[in-house]
Amino acid sequence: MNNIYRFSILLLLTLIIFSCEDNLEIDPEQSIDGSQALSSEQNLDALLLGIYQESGQGVSFGGDIQIMADLLGASDQISWFGTFVAPRQLIQKSLLVDNTFVRDTWFNNYESINQTNLIIDNLDIITSSDDKKAQVEGEAKFLRAINYFELIRLWALPYEAGATNNQAGVPLRLTGYEDYSQPLPAERASVEEIYAQILNDLGDAYTKLPTSNGVFATKYAAQAIRARVYLQMQNYASARDAADDVIENSGASLTESFAGAFNNDANSPEDIFAFQVTNQTGESDFITFYASQDNGGRGGDIVLNPDYFALFPDADDERANYSYIGDYGDDLTGKYTNQFANIPLIRLAEMYLIRAEGNIIETTSIGQTPEEDINMLRLRSGAITVTAPLTQDDILLERQLELAFEGFLLHDLKRTKNDIDGLPYNDPTLVLPIPQNEMDTNDLIGDNNPGYGS
Amino acid sequence: MNRKLQFSLSIIAMLFCYISFAQTKTVTGTVTDDQGLPLPGVNISVKGTSTGTQTDFDGNYSISANEGSRLVFSYLGFKNQEVSVTSTTTYNITLQASADELDEILVVGYGTQSKRTLTDNIVKLSAEDIDEVPVSNFQSALVGKAAGVQITQTNGKVEGGLNIRVRGATSISAGTQPLYVLDGIPLYNGDESNNGAPTNPLLSISPNEIESIEILKDASSAAIYGARGANGVVIITTKTGKEGKSEFSVNISHGSSEPTNKRDWLNSSQYIELFREAAVNAVGSSFNDEAEAIAYIEDQFDFLAAGTDWRNNAVNTDWQDLAFQNGHVSDADFSMSGGNAKTSIFFAGSLNETRGIIRGNELRRFNGRTNINHKFSERFNIGMNLSYSRTDIDRIANDNAFVNPLQGIAQPHISPAYNEDGSPNANTIYPNFLLQEENAFYKTIIKRVNGRTFGDYEILDGLKINGNFAYDLYYQTEDNFTGRNAPFQSTNGEVFASSVNAENYIVSGFLSYDKQLGDLNTLSIVAGTELNETTRRYESVTANQFPSDDFQTVDGGADIVAGRGNRSANSFFSLFARATYDYANKYLLKASIRRDGSSRFGGNERYGVFPAFSAGWVVSEENFLQDSDLLSYLKLRGSWGKTGNAEIGDFSSRYLFAAISYNQRPGISLSQPGNPDLTWETTTQTDFGIEYGFFNGRISGEIDYYHKNTDGLLFDVPLIPSSGASSISSNIGELENKGFEFVLNTDNIQTENFQWSTSLNLAYNKNEILSLPNSNNDIVNGQNIQRVGEPVNALYMIEYAGVDPANGDALYFINSENPDGSLSKETTTNANSANRIVVGNPFPEWYGGITNTINFMDIDFSFTFQGEFGASIYNGGGRFQSASADYFDNQTLDQFTDRWQQPGDITDVPQARLFGGNGTAQSTRYLDESDFIRLRNATLGYSLPEGVIERYGLSKVRIYATGVNLLTFTDYEGYDPEARSDAGGVGQAFYSVPPARTFSVGLNVKF
Repeated sequence: MNNIYRFSILLLLTLIIFSCEDNLEIDPEQSIDGSQALSSEQNLDALLLGIYQESGQGVSFGGDIQIMADLLGASDQISWFGTFVAPRQLIQKSLLVDNTFVRDTWFNNYESINQTNLIIDNLDIITSSDDKKAQVEGEAKFLRAINYFELIRLWALPYEAGATNNQAGVPLRLTGYEDYSQPLPAERASVEEIYAQILNDLGDAYTKLPTSNGVFATKYAAQAIRARVYLQMQNYASARDAADDVIENSGASLTESFAGAFNNDANSPEDIFAFQVTNQTGESDFITFYASQDNGGRGGDIVLNPDYFALFPDADDERANYSYIGDYGDDLTGKYTNQFANIPLIRLAEMYLIRAEGNIIETTSIGQTPEEDINMLRLRSGAITVTAPLTQDDILLERQLELAFEGFLLHDLKRTKNDIDGLPYNDPTLVLPIPQNEMDTNDLIGDNNPGYGS
Repeated sequence: MNRKLQFSLSIIAMLFCYISFAQTKTVTGTVTDDQGLPLPGVNISVKGTSTGTQTDFDGNYSISANEGSRLVFSYLGFKNQEVSVTSTTTYNITLQASADELDEILVVGYGTQSKRTLTDNIVKLSAEDIDEVPVSNFQSALVGKAAGVQITQTNGKVEGGLNIRVRGATSISAGTQPLYVLDGIPLYNGDESNNGAPTNPLLSISPNEIESIEILKDASSAAIYGARGANGVVIITTKTGKEGKSEFSVNISHGSSEPTNKRDWLNSSQYIELFREAAVNAVGSSFNDEAEAIAYIEDQFDFLAAGTDWRNNAVNTDWQDLAFQNGHVSDADFSMSGGNAKTSIFFAGSLNETRGIIRGNELRRFNGRTNINHKFSERFNIGMNLSYSRTDIDRIANDNAFVNPLQGIAQPHISPAYNEDGSPNANTIYPNFLLQEENAFYKTIIKRVNGRTFGDYEILDGLKINGNFAYDLYYQTEDNFTGRNAPFQSTNGEVFASSVNAENYIVSGFLSYDKQLGDLNTLSIVAGTELNETTRRYESVTANQFPSDDFQTVDGGADIVAGRGNRSANSFFSLFARATYDYANKYLLKASIRRDGSSRFGGNERYGVFPAFSAGWVVSEENFLQDSDLLSYLKLRGSWGKTGNAEIGDFSSRYLFAAISYNQRPGISLSQPGNPDLTWETTTQTDFGIEYGFFNGRISGEIDYYHKNTDGLLFDVPLIPSSGASSISSNIGELENKGFEFVLNTDNIQTENFQWSTSLNLAYNKNEILSLPNSNNDIVNGQNIQRVGEPVNALYMIEYAGVDPANGDALYFINSENPDGSLSKETTTNANSANRIVVGNPFPEWYGGITNTINFMDIDFSFTFQGEFGASIYNGGGRFQSASADYFDNQTLDQFTDRWQQPGDITDVPQARLFGGNGTAQSTRYLDESDFIRLRNATLGYSLPEGVIERYGLSKVRIYATGVNLLTFTDYEGYDPEARSDAGGVGQAFYSVPPARTFSVGLNVKF
């Protein structure tokens, strides 16, 4: 009896010892392994959608990219009254290398770029159709291009048409990382090389993308970005032609009213591409920093000054009055009042402005005359029309009136070699520093941008 | 001469007796303790022979002995006793409990051991050490009492997280918390807070249930916990019933508390003067001329004053006073213990209500526990421990949130706190936390059930099989309501509700063998296996759009905007063995080994083996010291062993893509780069110790030197941001901790009516990083750096050089390296041109405590001083609080009184410049040494004389007064050297709540 008892206890112990090894195999339930993620068409598709989410985050196209360009480009038209230090450094043009906006946006852009690279590296697993494969490639390259474009215009001295643009750009990474034990440092490619890559990707995207693609990138989204890139490179003819292609062929149309172009839960007819925000997904830092607390913001961190309103020659211009009073008694822009609205990245209105500017510089009338293009926008806002001849400065002003707070100011002033808040267009202060954590980890990064130490 | 003669005579007499009466007979009797309770398992041996036996369950024994021989009765925890066998055959023995701490029994993993034969470094604290200290968690009661164990609560919030470092930090990015084992159950200790500030998951344990706490510090003791022992092990043993008369004990106390410190801020008129000056000083930068500057700043004053007459100081709101409140602590607990020969039982229940010193922070807890032991038969014991608790916490925002009440100190005194109608003023420069307080709540409820059934069966004499099944449930709900009028609320109310369910199962079985081999050899062996599985299930829902603020649950929300649900798990499977051997209580040896496998480790490195060896020599047992009156005890011991740290997250080794949603469509996104080689980090620790006792133990203590080397440091190695991933978990890097611990216990006075004893502990720990990933590249995270040759998380920033007397500019040292390796002490006004350097250690190098216990007649008095030296704290809020009026934040008083105003002023407060950023870079300007000594705890009690209370059937009535953090001696300029940020940054403060100073009175009754 006793022996049986003892024996069974020992048996039980033995059983425990040998049955437990299996208990060490536990898989995560909220994530999948990289090997799975990059081995099926369905997962690659999901990864592509993930990049839209990544790029649409508040620290990136969800606001900070555009806000940084507007704060750094601002003189007296707006003020920063928020408590955050990072944006305050931007508007004061006194950036420190540990600026958190600079750090977060840089990293986000490269997170997106790495994942577009993973998709482009693994395109061969898309076997359902050639169209599908082309579309995925086109979207990935579109996303890679817009991320590199923001990096190169914010983190490098400006591109100068007709010069050798061998000034330091940003690291050019075109292969995705699956194994992070390999060496990762990369040196900065030149501004010229980065622009070449952007145009390359946009060219591919234009060829491979369909003309309509839901809320995702289309052929004309690629073309519209290409117009923007050419404009930044002061290649006015190509910019004009690309814009013309979008206007003529994309099917987009101006919204009836100026206000109709903003605060939309679903894309407006004017949106050529917009980052999607719903009440459950997506982020908008535009709301955070531009909106009142009732509208989901911090009460009005960025406020409009009299100098801004003074830009409008016509007081009846709807755009001049598109503002409201925020929590602290300041004027806030009306462009960001719906916290769950989509974030337009490219509106058709911009294409008219680009075509008009291209036509003026090249003295052509592709599509229609510059006055006709501009007046379409002005009439929509109830502003008095303009008559020929128009100059590039006129277009620049019109761009400020139409595109204010959408992230254009800094880049427009730089490409037209205008002073910014008393600083020359190519002043190093107007270039963001390579973030401290990149400087700390990337042995090949070289010197930081001028004025930010080494 | 005389002595020698006596001695020889007695020898002769003994021999004579031996020869005359040498006659074997059977001697019987009962062994009891001083209360008459039988003691089973008492060793009885015939001196000088190998004959021996043990008492049975009822304390009875029977042994063959010759007349004239001597019987030795020994039992752990009692003094040895000897009797001479004469013609009588029955000897009933009463053993006296040993007051000698050398006979103390320590709980070690999977067994117990006496202090006398221990070769480990273990610190034991008993119920008396933690009872009655009016703090809301048991860990805080240990502060200053355990050598080499630094215990710091993050800050003064009642539920605040705790940092316990046993012999220094052994990790950089893996967990640094010790393993907690409650009655053999490794406790779930995950931080489940969702508001950004950690909570203490062990809040739910009531100090009144605890019998003892053993902290295993060296490898020899902790290696039996293998891959989870590297941060030390805290073994908590709850009380058990005692045979005999049942005892009922009630303890009630109540106290009040206040912050240990407040700071001085500008009042309204000082604020106005300073900011007017700051605006004028900004002419040329922010303003074109003085008129514009004055107009601007007066406009701002109008806004800040919200329509009140600031010119005549109509409002002078002390926002600091509004943020703090008078706290209180109420504690009521009872326990009952009793039992008979077969069954013993212990019940306890307690209630605790703590109102924190920061507005809106409260905690209520109740606990219940039953411990039952039953002797099923002589060989078979079974038992069960079961406890439950509910802890209900009203929480406030984390330190970094605008609605954290202490961020109220940023509001200028000219801003009214309330409108005329009594509602909080919403027109403040920063959100008014009072709006949050009135219109929002954050309630966390922790429900915890913890139970164990266990049994042991003696298969053969000395060989037992032990089985355990234990279960630990941590269930927590959080309800966060934000009403319409709370700051930042734009969706007609928001409710966040979460629940988390973490369960921990432990099945263990082990054999234990204890054998006295002859008279002198004692061998004890333990070998077994354990399976531990932890699962965690989390879910949360966020709802917006409520009909009114009366609806405060998810059901009331018209729009469900977020939902989360996830599960995770990990498992450990272990085999372990240990052998201890001693020869004549003189030569001691111990060896242990554990093999751990865990699901957390990468596929390539799933199992680890953790050995340890130790040896001891009780020199005082040697003949040449045995008769020494001066040196009564001396033990030398040494140990070596390996332990691991497995706190790396459940799936850190995997290359993962997580599910995401874009436009409400499903996608995936790279969430983690993978590393299949990822595994535990290994700490190899060597310890040398001396235990000493003088004058029969009146002076005793220990001195230890240790060296801990931690290799394969678990590391989130920062990747290059442009590679698209921020960090990867790797086992790279090495660090060491070395130091010594010094313990001195003295019985200063021992008379019948007056006893005074002192216990001092002091530890020195030097922490140093030896190697880092990426060819020892620095790893910088904010104001913390990991750098070879420096301590973990060293503080790293540019160095403030004071103020240029000529113009009031803030200056920084350039600190660039000169050709000779020294640092250039040239100064600059441009913070970007100054180089960061290591400026401080976030952890103390010296720490310790001294406790005095005095009993005089019926009065008892004890007090503990605690001290820490060598740490610094960076005030992350400094660049807003002491910023030379850079922005509209209210400023510390020195910004007004000490400011630079005219050429020639010598000060370290730069000229006030609105929007000027004059001196506001993150620099040593906001760094301060945090050395302190504090009267941590003092208790004065008076027990009513027994004669008086016996008439009422009571055995003890005691009233007492006690306090925590009663006095603090420090030069630290911030709130408190023990107030650190709960929202990130190591060794940093950020509007962090100081601890409470609590004064409490109580009543303790036993019958």
